[in-house]
Amino acid sequence: MRALLWLASIIAASALAFALGGYATDVYRKMLVWIALALSYNFLFGVAGQIAFSQFAFAGVGAYGVVILSYKLGLPFGVALVGAIALCALLAFIVAVPSTRLEGFYLALATLAFAQLFLVVVNEGGELTGGTGGIAGYKLPEVFGIALRGPWYTVVLVLLVALTLHLLLRLERSSFGRACRAIKANPAVAAAMGIDVRRTKVITFTLTSTLAGLAGAAYAYVDNVINPPVFGLDNIFMLLFMIIVGGMGRPAGAIVGAVLLYLAPFVLEPIVGHAYLVLFGVLVVLAILFQPQGLIGLVDRLRPERRA
Amino acid sequence: MARRRFASALTFAMALLAGTAAAQAQDVVKIGVITDRVGSGKFYAEPVTRGIELGAKMINEKGGVLGKKIQLIIEDDQNKPDVSAAKARKLVDDGVVVIMSNTGSPATQQAQTVSLETKTPHLTPANSADTLTTQLDNPWFFQTGPLASIQLATLMTYTKARGFKKVAIVRDNSALSQSFAESFRKGLDGVGIETALEEVIPQGATSAVANLQKVRAAKVDAILQAGILGPEMLQFFRAYQQLGMKEPILGSYNLSIPAYLTMAKDLMEGVVFVDAYDETKPEAKAFRDIYVKDYKEEPSSLPAYGWDGIHLVAQAIEKAGSLDKEKVRTAIAATTGFSGAIGAKGSSWGFRNGSRSGFDPQGAVVRIIKNNQHGPVVHSGQK
Amino acid sequence: MDDFLELTVSAMASGCIYGLMALAYLIVLRPTSIINFAIGEWAATGAFVGVGMLSTLAWPHFEGPYILAVVAVVVVLGLLGWVVERLTVRPLLRRGAAVTSPILALLGVLVIFRESLTLIYGADPLPSPPPFGFRRIEIGPFAGASQQFFIIAVTLSLFVAVWLFFERTVWGRAFEAVALNRRAAALMGINLGRVTALAFAAGASVAGLAGLLMSPLTSAHYMMGLPLAIQGFTALVIGGVGRVEGALLGGLILAFVEQLGARYLPIPSGLTLAFPFALLILFLLLRPTGLIAPREAR
Repeated sequence: MRALLWLASIIAASALAFALGGYATDVYRKMLVWIALALSYNFLFGVAGQIAFSQFAFAGVGAYGVVILSYKLGLPFGVALVGAIALCALLAFIVAVPSTRLEGFYLALATLAFAQLFLVVVNEGGELTGGTGGIAGYKLPEVFGIALRGPWYTVVLVLLVALTLHLLLRLERSSFGRACRAIKANPAVAAAMGIDVRRTKVITFTLTSTLAGLAGAAYAYVDNVINPPVFGLDNIFMLLFMIIVGGMGRPAGAIVGAVLLYLAPFVLEPIVGHAYLVLFGVLVVLAILFQPQGLIGLVDRLRPERRA
Repeated sequence: MARRRFASALTFAMALLAGTAAAQAQDVVKIGVITDRVGSGKFYAEPVTRGIELGAKMINEKGGVLGKKIQLIIEDDQNKPDVSAAKARKLVDDGVVVIMSNTGSPATQQAQTVSLETKTPHLTPANSADTLTTQLDNPWFFQTGPLASIQLATLMTYTKARGFKKVAIVRDNSALSQSFAESFRKGLDGVGIETALEEVIPQGATSAVANLQKVRAAKVDAILQAGILGPEMLQFFRAYQQLGMKEPILGSYNLSIPAYLTMAKDLMEGVVFVDAYDETKPEAKAFRDIYVKDYKEEPSSLPAYGWDGIHLVAQAIEKAGSLDKEKVRTAIAATTGFSGAIGAKGSSWGFRNGSRSGFDPQGAVVRIIKNNQHGPVVHSGQK
Repeated sequence: MDDFLELTVSAMASGCIYGLMALAYLIVLRPTSIINFAIGEWAATGAFVGVGMLSTLAWPHFEGPYILAVVAVVVVLGLLGWVVERLTVRPLLRRGAAVTSPILALLGVLVIFRESLTLIYGADPLPSPPPFGFRRIEIGPFAGASQQFFIIAVTLSLFVAVWLFFERTVWGRAFEAVALNRRAAALMGINLGRVTALAFAAGASVAGLAGLLMSPLTSAHYMMGLPLAIQGFTALVIGGVGRVEGALLGGLILAFVEQLGARYLPIPSGLTLAFPFALLILFLLLRPTGLIAPREAR
């Protein structure tokens, strides 16, 4: 039954790809990437309680990694993709091992520093990274002889979201997920219960950052252009806001938050111009003050059954 | 549960957006403009957009294009490259014949992927990055802004008599500035001038004293200013003054942006910069008169780019005789001898030899800042 | 050598600004354990209030004397800090929420302030008039801009005043008591709400002053907040979160590393941008308590 539901949703989301015009497809695709990022970020932040600002940096590692390896260095696409993901995992691990010793906002700032360093490296990377102008003009190479273009690439993104969601749901319901929640609630108690706190934290950080890298690699082929601004600071605030407003700790919350905050500017901008950002800030403050479970918590209140 | 909720919410939201694919109306000519109203590119994008608006208004008053009125559809991309691409797609869905990009070069570059894919004529009236027409092989994209390489060459011709052998480049860490610095460097190499060092004043810096001390220590003959960001530019000029430096400063066309004169008041005396606007040119005078009448203030050079851009587009559509995008593209590509408000006296736009960069290599001028004003033209072209 | 001495003045001035930002963090952090990342935007607000008071560009009203601007910044920012505390922080603290909640709420406040500044003042950088012009001053072997010396003088005075406040006054001791043990302090009759409100107001005022002092050098613009917030936090981490002196020390060290590195290290200028972040990471990992250890409970 559950599998059928999954299949139906995936087909519905993919079918949508074939029905949309150029602009709507662009919005839909980028929204899917944001949803994927929100899902992994939500696990890191909402479930495991680690506030980090490096999610977009790792997306950048994935994006730049796959493009540089395949387009600039000429490696076969499969190798490039695997290489980029591996690089992501490695870097995430290197960052995670010392940083997970830090508590709360100190972790956030260490990851912020890492994210800024990533930007400096990319900006000053000269020919290899394209500097501040980025890299353009590449195309997604044929995979097994199929060229994934147009709506078919959107389907790829749908599958990316489905995969990320599936993985994170499994993780959350496993003993690993319980361990993460225990650590978030009270690390000392968790350790006393026999949980290896350090190891769990490092694995969580590495895993979610690698998922971010995967989303980043997928993003690289949406516009076939990558440049530094997309992986900068403004977007990580937006991602954090999505999780807070949507509902921390719940994948559904991440999805709701991502869809809402991604689409809202398109609707609001013609009306209030840039001021929609003030609205987001206010929403975040309101959410934390009055509805920490986010919008998804609101929905739950209205539907008293379910949600074991 | 989660997925179903997601899918239905998504469909609803998409329904709102899917209805934007409007059929091309038969009684207007839709031209798309991408500008920046609030972000980091506002101070150069908005003036250009103003010029386009003024130009469109004038063209409409004279009967429009092919008997139809021009309708400008203006989108704000916040100078963010991925938003720029999205807005370009929106404009295409809205049925525009031509897209005009006024924001930063990186944003224009990402929007290019859209014009290439949707086969829509795409013009940037003011962007100056050399790589815009070379990084992507996009036959639909045209650039009439003064290329950084042309700017440098013009500067060098003017200063040839001074015999500079060694210079320093100062820039900030924005994308456009880095691109300028790169073009400057290439140009300098080409004429055998050594770039002794390249100093970066990063966004958020609180002092440029260290950078300029290094420049002073290198004992260069001149400093090339490739900066874009206001506050960082201000610090450059402050440190320069504080250190009592005397090396001549040569600036890019960014120094023609009036906002700097206000921000760095009394600090830019004697600075030499490149521009593409000669107030004494008849077309420039005519443009100025119309601008002053409408906006009640003096124009800088920026609106003139927009003015010329929209006129060029209108002329091409007239020549094409139809709103078919391919015909318009061909007409644009065949433009030569277009003399506008921009450019030195005697220069003209034209896409020669299949190049999609149309700024006349002889079209840049050199001016000097005097009394917190952009002084008169002291040199034209590269002769 | 002359270069070095002149650079010293510049680095000291920048270091003072970073130190002020670190102080703004510290004043809030000590009694509440809350890291108020919004102080960057409060510094920007201070800069704009200053421009509004001093120049006809932002508001075509008047050009007032400098002391008026200082008073305006302190008062306005103090009020804003107090309001923010009341509206967004106090309800959370009262509820016993974990400290991450107010921190996140303050990120929302950050965005609100930044966008509001754009909406009110526009997106262009505005020049901010300095009180003593921009003459080059030479004091002994040191040389620098008059504004830089002014910044140093004001910052040192302010730090002395704050230090005296914490060490010598009853209110200051109350702060310390709350910082050491909230519950015990409450039991001793210290009004926690008032201390928290005062902490936020004072922190906001200090940040506003930092913005006001810096803006003649860099102009007032809506994007100046975030870099300042990051620089201030780096200074705090380096210097140590426990003591007022640590904030200034951290700021000075950061500035000196930045500027001396930019001047004397033989690496491409673009890469010197990495220094502050590398320094932050280094300290976070190796010595998170900073250089000056916090005061131990007596």
